[in-house]
Amino acid sequence: MTHHPFRTASGGFIDRSKPVRFRFDGRDYRGFEGDTLASALLAEGVRLVGRSFKYHRPRGILSAGPEEPNALVELRSGARREPNTRATVAELFEGLEATSQNRWPSLTFDLMSVNGLFAPGLVAGFYYKTFMWPSAFWEKLYEPLIRRAAGLGRAANAEDPDHYEKAFAFCDLLVIGSGPAGLAAALAAGRSGARVILCEQDFRLGGQLLAERREIDGRPATEWLAETIAELASLDTVRLMPRTTVFGLYDHGVFGAVERVSDHLPVPPPHQPRQRGWRIYAKRSVLAAGAIERPIVFAGNDKPGVMLASAVRSYVNRFGVLPGRKAVLFTAGDEAWSTAADLSAAGAEIVAIIDSRPDANPARADLARKLGARYLAGGAVTAARGWQQLDHITVREASGAETVLPCDLLAVSNGWNPALHLTSHQNGKPVWNEAAQAFVPGDVPPGMAVAGNAAGRWTLAEALVDGDRLSREAVADLGFTPAPAARMPAIEAEATGLLPVWRVKGGRGKAFVDFQNDVTDKDVEIAAREGFRSVEHLKRYTTLGMATDQGKTSNLSGLALMAEQTGQSIAATGTTRFRPPYTPVAIGALAGHHRGRDFRSTRLSPTHEWSRQAGAVFIESGAWLRAQYYPQPGENDWLTSVNREVLAVRKGVGLCDVSTLGKIDIQGRDAATFLERVYTNGWANLPVGKARYGLMLREDGFVFDDGTTSRLGENHFLMTTTTANAERVMQHLEFCHQVLWPELDLHMASVSDQWAQAAVAGPRSRETLARLVDAPHDISNAAFPYLAVREITVAGGIPARLFRLSFSGELAYELAVPARYGDAMMAALMEEGRDFGITPYGIEALGVLRIEKGHVAGNELNGQTTARDLGLGGLMSPRKDYIGRLMATRPALTEPNRPMLAGFKPVNKADRLRAGAHFLDLSSTATMENDLGFMTSVAFSPHLGHWIGLGLIRGGTSRIGERVRAHDPVRGGDFEVEICSPVFIDPEGVRLRG
Amino acid sequence: MADIVNAWTPRSAWAGTLESIRNGLSGHAPLTIEPLDVIGLALISLPAAVEPALTRWLKERLSLTLPANGTVSRGPQHDLLWAGPGKFLLRSYRDFDPGLLRELAAIVPVTDQSDGRAVLRLSGERARDVLAKGVMVDLHPRVFGPGATMITPVAHIRVQIWRLDDRAGLPAFEILVPRSMTGSFGSWLEASAAEFGVRAITTGG
Repeated sequence: MTHHPFRTASGGFIDRSKPVRFRFDGRDYRGFEGDTLASALLAEGVRLVGRSFKYHRPRGILSAGPEEPNALVELRSGARREPNTRATVAELFEGLEATSQNRWPSLTFDLMSVNGLFAPGLVAGFYYKTFMWPSAFWEKLYEPLIRRAAGLGRAANAEDPDHYEKAFAFCDLLVIGSGPAGLAAALAAGRSGARVILCEQDFRLGGQLLAERREIDGRPATEWLAETIAELASLDTVRLMPRTTVFGLYDHGVFGAVERVSDHLPVPPPHQPRQRGWRIYAKRSVLAAGAIERPIVFAGNDKPGVMLASAVRSYVNRFGVLPGRKAVLFTAGDEAWSTAADLSAAGAEIVAIIDSRPDANPARADLARKLGARYLAGGAVTAARGWQQLDHITVREASGAETVLPCDLLAVSNGWNPALHLTSHQNGKPVWNEAAQAFVPGDVPPGMAVAGNAAGRWTLAEALVDGDRLSREAVADLGFTPAPAARMPAIEAEATGLLPVWRVKGGRGKAFVDFQNDVTDKDVEIAAREGFRSVEHLKRYTTLGMATDQGKTSNLSGLALMAEQTGQSIAATGTTRFRPPYTPVAIGALAGHHRGRDFRSTRLSPTHEWSRQAGAVFIESGAWLRAQYYPQPGENDWLTSVNREVLAVRKGVGLCDVSTLGKIDIQGRDAATFLERVYTNGWANLPVGKARYGLMLREDGFVFDDGTTSRLGENHFLMTTTTANAERVMQHLEFCHQVLWPELDLHMASVSDQWAQAAVAGPRSRETLARLVDAPHDISNAAFPYLAVREITVAGGIPARLFRLSFSGELAYELAVPARYGDAMMAALMEEGRDFGITPYGIEALGVLRIEKGHVAGNELNGQTTARDLGLGGLMSPRKDYIGRLMATRPALTEPNRPMLAGFKPVNKADRLRAGAHFLDLSSTATMENDLGFMTSVAFSPHLGHWIGLGLIRGGTSRIGERVRAHDPVRGGDFEVEICSPVFIDPEGVRLRG
Repeated sequence: MADIVNAWTPRSAWAGTLESIRNGLSGHAPLTIEPLDVIGLALISLPAAVEPALTRWLKERLSLTLPANGTVSRGPQHDLLWAGPGKFLLRSYRDFDPGLLRELAAIVPVTDQSDGRAVLRLSGERARDVLAKGVMVDLHPRVFGPGATMITPVAHIRVQIWRLDDRAGLPAFEILVPRSMTGSFGSWLEASAAEFGVRAITTGG
């Protein structure tokens, strides 16, 4: 096979000495380094690259940039498969594999194209009209059918094997776009010493200059380009970022950008991310994103071979590719005339130049003559025809006569739309500019200036002047001494006359407004007829401007047609505002490193390594990984392990990591006063060396958190919080201090990470600890009673804190040592407790022990319970004020019939209780009106030999001895339970004081 | 019982982290990381009334001055890092002398954080590029030069960073990370540094 049949012999920014092999739809092709997939396909004579969304019409390549609506392919395969990749921006690499989309069984023979025959049923709004009835059919029949027939590419169905990252950049001036305006802006700011970032979505800097044969100062523009880029690269305050799309502008001058770090490589090299999402903080910005050429609406305008004139110049001049050999130009303005000259210079035959403007201009006539082309002033293409690609066009001449012209390329131009999207992301509304015949930026976001084409200023000279001037103004504003105004190079006169043609009527066949969504001129008429006339309604009703291209080539034609239908001007019709992202962004680039295990940070306890070696099974608990239980050999289910651990605590001694509890160091003369205000119970009278249980309410009177707080010195307390609420409590306390009572002498610091802490619980706990505590410290019951706290040393001088606290109801202690000794402490306790059968236990056993003892925890402190609900009303001091006091007296919170805490046991001891089950009277039906409350926590009590539960029930403990039903509609249980005291073990508290 | 203390081997806050860097790349690399094990770190809260007393004590005892907001002051044995309004972190390159902290605690509220934070030093020509993947604050020397410090999230982890004096003309930073999150921080650092090439040095102190 001969490769590159449509490649020119020389010219362009491709390297003919570096061939690149690639595959499309299973066939082998060749391109060159510097090609895009689109340019390489065109060079190989491939015109048909996809099927359309709804009608499965053959589609080719319309553009040469990110606005492409048609040439969408699946790039790569397997886990790296990327649907809807625009062939026009996909950089060619060795071994690239691409597949066409939305066709079956093949691109050239697509059975679904019969949709086109049923087209009358598929016009705007057809979803709503056709599939209304019966409604049950929608989910089961209509939607699956539509989804199969319509659509684009397939997402990969395996996990993305590449990694992505996020990064943050800062600059004085961000320049978006590297065409002449952007380069001039970057250069002026860079010369002044300002920090500049220049982002370009393409892999090569230069913008439209790459696609044009222009001269600057009498030399090829490419020389100016090379010199300018070289100078920019030499400035150390300038950062050039090709392959980087600035996709959004957010508040305060923060831009979102995505850098395609490895998309141009078959596989990212080791350690290199696939893409990098950037957040760019720019003090000022110059938007020099250029403009997007507009197609013309006429019958068959989607035929492969119909191409934007600017794209034709790009393929010819930048890529050395002839997109066709027999070409016609159909233009509404002066600017596209160079297309004919460029094509001719590259060897194509120019059949005709159809300029829709009626005035027969002698200069144009002269140029057409030189190119050997017919010049049809005031003519229009009424239809483009061909089977799967363009074969001939029908032209209606100014006289009204119709002519058929054979051709394989039709370059179209209807003027340009500024790429002003970023000016609109902060709600700026574009305004119609009659001179430019385009919407141009209206209110520009603070700090941004718009240069050149993006501002609707169409000439090269304007671009260079704008970029230089706006950049110098911006840096001067920031306090830099701007470089002197650049000498404006000599540029030949540029004609920009334009009289847009919004559609050509009279051709047979569909005339497309939006290629990607298969929206035709008829659909816009239907929308107008049915009252969907505002541009926002037009978009939603017809889907015009939706999907991956967001209407970059179609929006203006659509609203111009709507203006025509409603008899309004385009200015009065208005345009939609734009939202980020400008072009599609992979989710990976937004997530960066934070996926899978790194979705958020994981906190590890200072005893984690010891627990791991002890065989712990870990479970996520808030941000922490905590030991859930420690299975022993031969134990096959978690309950067996947990039962063993619970009994070990009740009968001997157990050891559990409690380092994850929140710990807050509170110091200052007003520390006790502060605690009085944030806790419901009293603190002023707590002696030094003692701990007390404390209860905190939210401002609204509901319970917030609980824990023990110890008095280490007259003005020094140590507060503990639940693991889950540690950060919220710290925030709450900081708020109280900084906002409510800044006058208090108070200093708080989180010490959660400073201390490793272990609960040592069970009748043999004192004996175990005694072996570890250094000699002068007496931990006998008399010297160190229940709730005592002391700073001690262990193991020959290691500073430690010992607390006599119990969550299990047993004789128990908590020992804290500096975190570096966490693992060592666990190992030492195991060693010293070996004679007493010491057993490590996890948070499952911890939960069982606290339920047996009737202690409330997270399941009960659920944000909807009051102190009274939990049986803790006695902790609400009547002698002082505290946060939540007043709101807790609201009638609904003190209503006698509120569900209150009680214990529950199954009447049939074999029944397994379930948390979440609702309580009902024995004879009631299971309805909300009969609901009495619900079970909050359950556990199997190995001590009692059956399941036990805590729950909230109307009447609470006043109903002890009564029977109710525990109804669990989720898991299907419905059986009798007996209401009992929530304290199942040692209600007198003999054990914990022993 | 004194013999037992030997069995109580302290564990480095960085143990088990950064394995791929420790085991992987070595030799010349544009980045160096140095997980530091033993340091003294204490948080000082400063009530306005005692500022003169503290200033005097710092000068006489440690030859230190109170740093301005967002900066670090350096002394022969200790550094003092601004750590928020009215808060400072006293950093010692060795374990604290307990007597020193007691003296200090007589003047201002002091909370020992030596075990609460882990310290890592990051230096080399790509140090700023690595940090730019997590730090949402401008690290350019025009903004964040030697002696500057900040408290900021990196990879969802609240850290304090300060810039040391340049080493051989290259930037160097120290980062204080909550001890419980060194694993997650290390995972971010490994992923972010790997493309540049990085080597680890362990100084042990």
